This record gives sequence, C-alpha cells and structure tokens, in this order.
Amino acid sequence: MAVQSDVLAAAGPYDRAKALSAFKLGDITFYWITRACAISVLLILGGIILSLIAGAWPAIKEYGLPFLWTQRWAPSADPPVLGALGPVYGTLITSVIAMMIAIPVGIGIAVFLTELCPQWLRRPIGIAIELLAGIPSIIYGMWGFFVLGPFLANTFQPFMIRLFDGVPVLGAVFAGPPSYLSLFNASLILAIMVLPFITAISVDVFKTVPPVLKEAAYGVGCTTWEVVRNVVIPYTRVGVIGGIMLALGRALGETMAVTFIIGNSFRISSSIFAPGTTISAAIASEFAESDGLHQSGLILLGLLLFVLTFIVLACARLMLMRLEKKAGN
Amino acid sequence: MTDLSISTTSPSAAIPQKSLPEAAPKVTARSLNFYYGEHHALKDINLTLGTNRVTAFIGPSGCGKSTLLRIFNRMYDLYPGQRATGQLMLDQTNILDPKLDLNLLRARIGMVFQKPTPFPMTIYENIAFGIRLYEKISKSEMDGRVEKALRGGALWNEVKDKLNASGLSLSGGQQQRLCIARTVAVRPEVILFDEPCSALDPISTAKVEELIQELSEDYTIAIVTHNMQQAARVSDKTAFMYLGELIEFDDTSKIFTSPSDRRTQDYITGRFG
Repeated sequence: MAVQSDVLAAAGPYDRAKALSAFKLGDITFYWITRACAISVLLILGGIILSLIAGAWPAIKEYGLPFLWTQRWAPSADPPVLGALGPVYGTLITSVIAMMIAIPVGIGIAVFLTELCPQWLRRPIGIAIELLAGIPSIIYGMWGFFVLGPFLANTFQPFMIRLFDGVPVLGAVFAGPPSYLSLFNASLILAIMVLPFITAISVDVFKTVPPVLKEAAYGVGCTTWEVVRNVVIPYTRVGVIGGIMLALGRALGETMAVTFIIGNSFRISSSIFAPGTTISAAIASEFAESDGLHQSGLILLGLLLFVLTFIVLACARLMLMRLEKKAGN
Repeated sequence: MTDLSISTTSPSAAIPQKSLPEAAPKVTARSLNFYYGEHHALKDINLTLGTNRVTAFIGPSGCGKSTLLRIFNRMYDLYPGQRATGQLMLDQTNILDPKLDLNLLRARIGMVFQKPTPFPMTIYENIAFGIRLYEKISKSEMDGRVEKALRGGALWNEVKDKLNASGLSLSGGQQQRLCIARTVAVRPEVILFDEPCSALDPISTAKVEELIQELSEDYTIAIVTHNMQQAARVSDKTAFMYLGELIEFDDTSKIFTSPSDRRTQDYITGRFG
C-alpha cells in the first residue's frame, strides 16, 4: 500500500492527467462506435422503406388505393389486373387463427412448466420447446404438405364440416370440401411455429414473479389456477404480451412453410378449409417469374406487409399503455 | 433505534402488566418435526397457541421460527422435498393431513409476510380478491366488506379517496397494513405474522404493533420477530427457539423477567444472537 502511494505521488499531477486523457480518447472512440451502430439501424430501415416505395411506385401509380380492395389477381391479363385483398385477407386470417391456437397452448405450457411440472419433467419439455423453435421453416412446410395436410383432410376437416353443417355462420366457416392445402392447415403450422416464442418468453417472465407474492396469494387460499390468473399473469403481462407480439410478427411474415401448404389461391372463400394465400407466400411463389408491373405489384404487397406489421406493433404498444392505466400505475 | 436499549436496560419495562387466564387451545403441536430434504430443521416441537392470544416466536436467525410458521398453513407444501411429521391440530382438524383442502386451511389461517406483498391490482381489488374466492356477494356488500377490512387494517382514512390506485403505489408501511387488511378480509381464525415490521420504519412499526394488539381481540395470532421489545410489547406468550428446538415457552412476562433456561437468559440480554 505505502509503496504504491509513493509511486503515485512521485509520478506527479502532470502524468496523471496524461494517463487520463488516453482514457478519454478511448471513451470518445467507444461513444462514436456505439453511436454509429445505433444509427446504422435507422439507415438500413430507412433504406429498405425507400427502396420498397421506389420499387412499388409504378404499381401505386397504376392501381392507386383500389389496389387494397380489389380481389382479382390476373398478372397475365393485358394490362395486368392486380388486387391485394386476397393476400391481405389470408395473412390476417392465418395469423389470427394461429394466435388463437398458440396463445392458450403456449401460455398453458408455460404455466405447467413453472407452476405444476415435476422437476424431472421440466428439462425434457423445456428442451423440446427450444428444439421446436430451431426447426427450419422449410421442414415445417414439408411436414405440413406430406403428413399434416393429408391427415387433417381425412380426419379433422370432414368431422368439422359435418359437425357444423347447416349451422349459420359457422357452417360457412367450416365448409367443404376437405383440402390438403388450406388456410386452416397453414394456420395450424404457423401456430406450431410460433408456440416456442410464446412459451419461452412466458416461462422466463413467470420465473420473475417473487415467490413471496405467490405465497401471499396461496396464503389467502387461492388455488394454483387463481394464483396464475390473478397474480402471475397480471404481474408479468407486459412480458407475456411482448412474447405474443413477437410471435404475431413471425406469423404475419412467415413465408416458406405457408407457401408450401396454403394452396396459393387469390380467391377469398368464407371457408377456412379452402386454399388461400398470404402476402409473403404470394411474393415467394411469383417473384421469380415476374417483371414490369407484376413485379412492382408484388413489391407493393411487400410494402403493405411492412405497414401491416407496423400497425400491429403500434396497436400492441397502445394496448399495453391502456392496460398500465387500468392497473392504476 | 429501540434495539440499542436491549443490552443496557431490562426489557421488562415494556411488558404489559396483565396476567390473562389460560386460553382454550387453538393450534396444538405434538412432537412436531420438520425436514428440508435431509436437513432436520425442527426437532420435537410441543406447544399450544391459545385462542385470541398473541404468541411471539423469538430466537436467532435460522433457529426455525419462520419454518414453524410455514407449517401452520402448510406453505411448505409448495416446495418439493420439504416434509413435516408429528401432530399439528387446528381445533379438531389435523393440519398435516395430506388430504386436507389447503385452500380452506389457508382461509382459516392467514399469513402476513416479512416484505409487503400487495397483488398487482388496485387497493380495492387487493381486498375484494380474497373475499371473492369464497363468497359471491353484491357490489354494495363488497364495498362494505372492503371498507371494514381497510378499517380493520387501520388504513381506511389514508386510502379511502384512492381505492382505485394501484396497491403498489402505497408506501411500505401502508402496503403492509393493506396486506393485513387483505388477510383479515377473508375472516381467518388464526393470523401468522412473519417478521411483519422488519422492512418498516419505526412509525409504521408502531402502527402495525397497535393493530396486532387490536386484532388479538378477534383472532389467534402468532408472530415471528427479531425485535425483543416488540415481542414483549405485543405478545401474551413467548416461545424461544434455538437451533430448531423449542427451548422455552411461557408467559411473556416470565420469559422476559425470569427465564428458566440459561440460553433464553443469554439471548434476551443480548449475549448472543
């Protein structure tokens, strides 16, 4: 100790200032490097938007706003007739159905894993969920095409069609004939694909609930369900909704698996067992052979997907803010 | 601040000068043992909590006071590997019965924790929540019950204008009284306090202690505390525990004036612990 302080004293104030200024240079460099990284995100994002708009410009000029509510998609007509209604409808419907399946199942798995699961079963299930997230989407596509599609068309779809035959509204939603390639099949595959996101994030945030808070809820006599419903989920809702939004973002944009099994039909049918298409599936299946106005129309579809995702995220933010208000914060 | 006086003056000055008649037993433990896995945490505990009496549990950290409290409402059941043996009765109910409905047990035996644990909801909902678990009552009736519970928790005057604010927006002391009100709202028979004041300032502590005194008119109370003045102030009976054993269990006035065991004497005079 004593020796060290002697050395420091001998070095004098001048040297110390010099040593500090060397740090200062490093600090400034560090500041600019991190700043450049952050700014590059903005540049890339802006560049993508600009190039999308530039690419879509001919189609915007040609079709204008009616592009949004035209159902007909006839790129080989002369001049080509293009409308986005089919793909937009397919994108929204498949995502909504996928979330309707994936949210309860995903949160259910998370609750089971954190609150109820015996210790020895926790790891196997946890690892299985993580592996589910790691499967490339093309494999989901193949599996959906060769296994799940035929299976659903032979068992589940005929059952639902018979069950709701003649029922108003639902009869039209579950109308035949059964099909290997359909909106519903794509939704189910999407649900399986986004499930790991919801589960993994929910498990992580459920673990942040202080044990004493749960004990307090058990202490007034809550059952496990009541503790989860009234304490765990309200406490973690921001994180859970974050996970759901991440999953929704993936479901909206998922391309390969959906292209395989949705049937790529631009016609809108009331039945979810009929083939359809999504924005990303339409782009993926037609982009290679497109040119001119057709290609510009596809880029415009891409721009629409971009805007759609943005709106969904904005709505999620808004919902979170309102929830916070309701909770009294 | 109050702790400073422990070793210098006799704590007997703070003892309430009352000698209550022996109360009917509410909770009775007979040769109660508890294990965290292999670790034998409580050894052969025998004691009785008298009806509408306050029983304090004192002893150095790790002696098993909180563990004992967590057996009373079977909180240990949430964690695998923890088990209790022996006999523990709440009136005629065997608390350790594996088939016992734990939700009903915990409605009869409420618990207040060391740290305030308001639920992530409004002040009103924090109280109404527990009531709703057991009773279906109308809105106006619920309003009445919530008010009564908050009065019972000595909190009504401070929160009556902001019942819809988040329970988390209250100060630490208010949160703790909210938790007491929440516990009272369910109309338990026994209330367990696990160091309820250790996270509170002296003024909040005084309020909570006063509240415990009032509550003892209607409830059987067990309180774990590290503050010996507190034990002396609020309790009728005191149990001194050491290394998982119940060393001495007697009237509070006796424990703090003429304890029969050498170790109790050493602990209350501050020679260890």
